[in-house]
Amino acid sequence: MLQGGLLKPVADFADDVHRQRGFSCVDCHGGDPAATERAKAKDPARGYRGMPKGAEVIAICARCHSDAEFMHRYAPRQRVDQASEYASSVHGKRLAAGDTGVATCVSCHRNHGIRLVSDAKSPVFPTNVATTCGSCHSSPDHMKRYMGANGTPLATNQRAEYEQSVHFAAMTKRNDLSAPTCNDCHGNHGAAPPGVGNVANVCGTCHAIFQAKFEQSTHKDVFDRGCVECHNNHAVLQTSDEMLGTGPKAICSSCHADKSEYGYMAAEKMRALIETLKGTLERDGALIADVRNAGLQVSAQELALGEARNRLTLARAEIHATNPALVEPIVGEGIKILAGVHRAGDQGLAELRFRRQGLFASLGAILLVVVALALKIKQMDRGTTH
Amino acid sequence: MLQQRVITWLDERLDLSDVKHFIAEKGVPVHTQKVWYYLGGMTLFLLGIQVATGILLLLYYRPSAEEAYESVQFIVSEVEFGWLIRNMHSWSANLLIAAAIAHMFSVVFLRAYRKPRELTWLSGIGLLFLMFGFGFSGYLLPWNELAFFATKVGTGIAGAVPVVGKFMLRFLRGGDDVTGATLSRFYALHVAVFPMLMTAFLGLHLLLVQRQGMSVPINVEKQLREGARLRQIPFVPNYVLRDVLLWYVALAILAALAALSPWELGRKADPFAPVPAGIRPEWYFLAMFYTLKLIPSHVLIIEGEQLGVIVFGLAAVILILLPFLDRRSSRAEPNPFVTWAGVAALIYLVVFTIVGYLTA
Repeated sequence: MLQGGLLKPVADFADDVHRQRGFSCVDCHGGDPAATERAKAKDPARGYRGMPKGAEVIAICARCHSDAEFMHRYAPRQRVDQASEYASSVHGKRLAAGDTGVATCVSCHRNHGIRLVSDAKSPVFPTNVATTCGSCHSSPDHMKRYMGANGTPLATNQRAEYEQSVHFAAMTKRNDLSAPTCNDCHGNHGAAPPGVGNVANVCGTCHAIFQAKFEQSTHKDVFDRGCVECHNNHAVLQTSDEMLGTGPKAICSSCHADKSEYGYMAAEKMRALIETLKGTLERDGALIADVRNAGLQVSAQELALGEARNRLTLARAEIHATNPALVEPIVGEGIKILAGVHRAGDQGLAELRFRRQGLFASLGAILLVVVALALKIKQMDRGTTH
Repeated sequence: MLQQRVITWLDERLDLSDVKHFIAEKGVPVHTQKVWYYLGGMTLFLLGIQVATGILLLLYYRPSAEEAYESVQFIVSEVEFGWLIRNMHSWSANLLIAAAIAHMFSVVFLRAYRKPRELTWLSGIGLLFLMFGFGFSGYLLPWNELAFFATKVGTGIAGAVPVVGKFMLRFLRGGDDVTGATLSRFYALHVAVFPMLMTAFLGLHLLLVQRQGMSVPINVEKQLREGARLRQIPFVPNYVLRDVLLWYVALAILAALAALSPWELGRKADPFAPVPAGIRPEWYFLAMFYTLKLIPSHVLIIEGEQLGVIVFGLAAVILILLPFLDRRSSRAEPNPFVTWAGVAALIYLVVFTIVGYLTA
């Protein structure tokens, strides 16, 4: 009867994807399962490997997972380059240098209870990745031995910062599993911090338009950390128009503080353009809502409002090129659309006034007829009842 | 006077002496319950509004799943006074059914269905059911989201009718589901089949009313038999003018509702969209709809919905046969059972409609 430490691997292995595919302990640990004596069963001469550690783990997993022919039998679409990617990662390089404290396959995938990545209970399921990475990277005790490139200690607040981000909110509150977590920016098996030059590339894999606009910007050659300069890396917070311009919450003014300087004026101008479109949109949206609530058909105007909203979104994207001359025509288009909406809204209000006036005139006429009829009936009833 | 010249011209050719005599002699009884007589005329007036506004809507309405919603949208936003016509049609439809139901209850409580007016009752009930048919078919015609899903539910209930349910469901929908084929069918029923039947039933109903005159309550009839004299007012012009006065009031109410509370069009029906919240049929089907919701899915060996449909079917049969079942009233004897059953039915309808509306 198994007891203590030996019981857990067996219990965990019950749910292991490998067990479901027909693999058993000896496929990883070696030894002779037919032997009845412990010494023979665990005889290294019979292939017993014991509990693999460090590079041995990589080698054992790679025996199958790097064998394309073998993997085709079980998971034809699965990649087989994990081991070579791992070797290129910071984890892999440190392991090769003899650091056994770094993550190997089992650190993230577990050892005996390995589940498919698509299994919500897997530690590498999208919603669990931050916790899995954080088990080491959020531990000051574990991370104290590692230093950054400039010799400073590595931060351990990445997970806490990530949990404040819009990405985390999208994943956990909107259940959007495509929202980025650690491995989407850092890679999984080839885990490495994005270098200074390629942060925009990483963000641009999803935010392609913003990247394209940023490429046109003068900031491209100035911002060492690309997108991160304004948006942070792990704590990517909800953006707002207040980040733009020269106001108290504006990011631009942290560098462009001089009012006579072009950057200051450009930031102020872009913010003013955005606010103009936003304000007009809000005003005309309220006008159309009033007309709609009064019962008039405003579907064409609602479509136009949607178009204007699209222009606002485009203008907000265009500011990443940091050139007011590019933002101005987009805002102009939006304002032009809204002018039509405003005209229609005014016509709607005029129509409502016309309807009410028409109603009161009709009610007045009907009242006169009713009174006349009542008088006539009264007159006729005198003497006609029989 | 032009009017007199026209009458003379017609008289010379058609001999209107019978009609003139009928008009001159026709009177309307005056008694404490006479106010209920106006409901019939009111229902007729609202039906006239429906016909007139319906014909005007037909000029622009296009009966296909692709164009129906857009055409109604066009009517209310682009066509001159189209909003007024559509709103009056929608509001008048509801007021019409309310007036018809009130008319029916007044006939029940006054026992006006009793011998010799059984045929008037049957034609009236036929008209009421036709109005429900108009309401049900017309609700779908704008092809908006609420109507689409409510029709799905409504035709689904028809599918629960024992034996012929499946056939009825497919017949109404024009297939297994509510599609453009359903819209075409409902349109055909709404503008061709039901109006034709309505004309026949209404013609018969009005003919019988004119032929037999107004019914008087049993207690008034008893007094007449005992020699009392019944006061009457001439139908033309005294009673007709009273009717016209009330029609003007109804017109004022309709105009106010159409101008101040336009009938919502909502969003275009999308068969692939999730069912929106607050799906409910028109108010006059709400009591039935809510009752069906309350019945458990299975009652003994029968499905709950099927049981509900059977019970409502039996209630309809009892309603149709009321003049033949209520023998006491036919003998001009009081029948408190009918009064209490009528009060119970009225309370049930009001309460279940309100609760159904609030919980939908």
